[in-house]
Amino acid sequence: MAGSASTGESPSEIRTVAIDAEVLAGKRFPYQEDITLVADIDLLAATPGPDINWLEDITLLEEDGVPAVFDRYSNSFLKIYFDIPEGQEDDIARKVLIRHLVDGNSYGITLKDIHCKFPQVELGPWVEESRIVGENWKPTELEGWSAPAAH
Amino acid sequence: MASVGSRSGVSYDARGLVEPHAEMPDNIEVDGGRARFDATDLTIRQINMALRKLIYNDGIVDVTVLNPSSKHSLAVGILKRCRIHFEGSPGWFACGLIDGPEVTINGRVGWSLGENMMSGVVVVERGAGSLTGAAIRGGDLIVKGDVGARTGIDQKGGTIIVMGDVGINTGFMMQRGRQIICGNAGQNLGDSMYDGEIYVAGKVSSLGVDCVGGEWTDADTELIERKFRIHGLGDPPPFEKFVCGKQLHNYDALEPSERKLVI
Repeated sequence: MAGSASTGESPSEIRTVAIDAEVLAGKRFPYQEDITLVADIDLLAATPGPDINWLEDITLLEEDGVPAVFDRYSNSFLKIYFDIPEGQEDDIARKVLIRHLVDGNSYGITLKDIHCKFPQVELGPWVEESRIVGENWKPTELEGWSAPAAH
Repeated sequence: MASVGSRSGVSYDARGLVEPHAEMPDNIEVDGGRARFDATDLTIRQINMALRKLIYNDGIVDVTVLNPSSKHSLAVGILKRCRIHFEGSPGWFACGLIDGPEVTINGRVGWSLGENMMSGVVVVERGAGSLTGAAIRGGDLIVKGDVGARTGIDQKGGTIIVMGDVGINTGFMMQRGRQIICGNAGQNLGDSMYDGEIYVAGKVSSLGVDCVGGEWTDADTELIERKFRIHGLGDPPPFEKFVCGKQLHNYDALEPSERKLVI
């Protein structure tokens, strides 16, 4: 279950109280386990303006007792399993998040292709070039269902 | 896209969009990676269509919009790194929901500048209306004149810098982020705020519920000096810091969910 916290209930009563990025994606990503995969991320280059801009608000948090960074684009926590050097907590959290976004692995990004109603870049401002999605949106059709009259 | 009628006689498409005039403007001048067009005779939809086409499809990285003529909802929802210049004053809800653009406005703006802004930089050379930076989540929003009431209401991140005065209820229900106010602040500063920092250089008319003076740290000095330096705002004046007192009756219940929902 997605990041569910045990509250003593039987399995059928367990409530999901948090969303976990790797559960949404159905897999864990290599950069959650290997610090070398985020070492070359340039946070200044990945953000608008002369400083780290929106990443100023991104800090290392904790979820289910595991260090984690919050992905605001999918409202989910991305857990970090490698040892984080002391004094670099927020820096590493930001780098892991940017790697997650640049690679297009945020669940919010994967939903764009189907659900965007208006043209927009698939990835966000953290990459220079990105394909456009949402140019040919069609309403979802449920097989065997038709809208009632007067709708 | 096929249009769908309504009882009012207005036609909507399947997305619920009213398109009174959806033709691309023909007065766009393009020069390499830069473009400019005069918005005097264009509808809001035409202006935003032009911005999106230039920035998303044509690879333009620097767009100048002349004479926005106080039209509302300009440059909203732009999700890519680029530069947008307004020569003149946009109206309400300018630059809402942006994620990446660096915008300069050589004029003033109406209500709700940068509402729900995700990242980027917006600089306004003159004043701004009420609700500036409402629910902003990230990025820098700089107003060089005065702003109206409820600046940064429901702010969830980012930095709002006002070189002049701010009105009543500034920082109301602020949840995260920073406000740097160089002038005076109206009544009820930081009312019912959950978190974040408000710095005021001038006089504060009154503090709101649960807003208290905060302890100054080296991180505060570093933040203010950095923001003034990178945005060319001169030498910062001395500030007083205000934070949440965390005594409000509902704070303990809200804090755990706030941590997950407001970042």
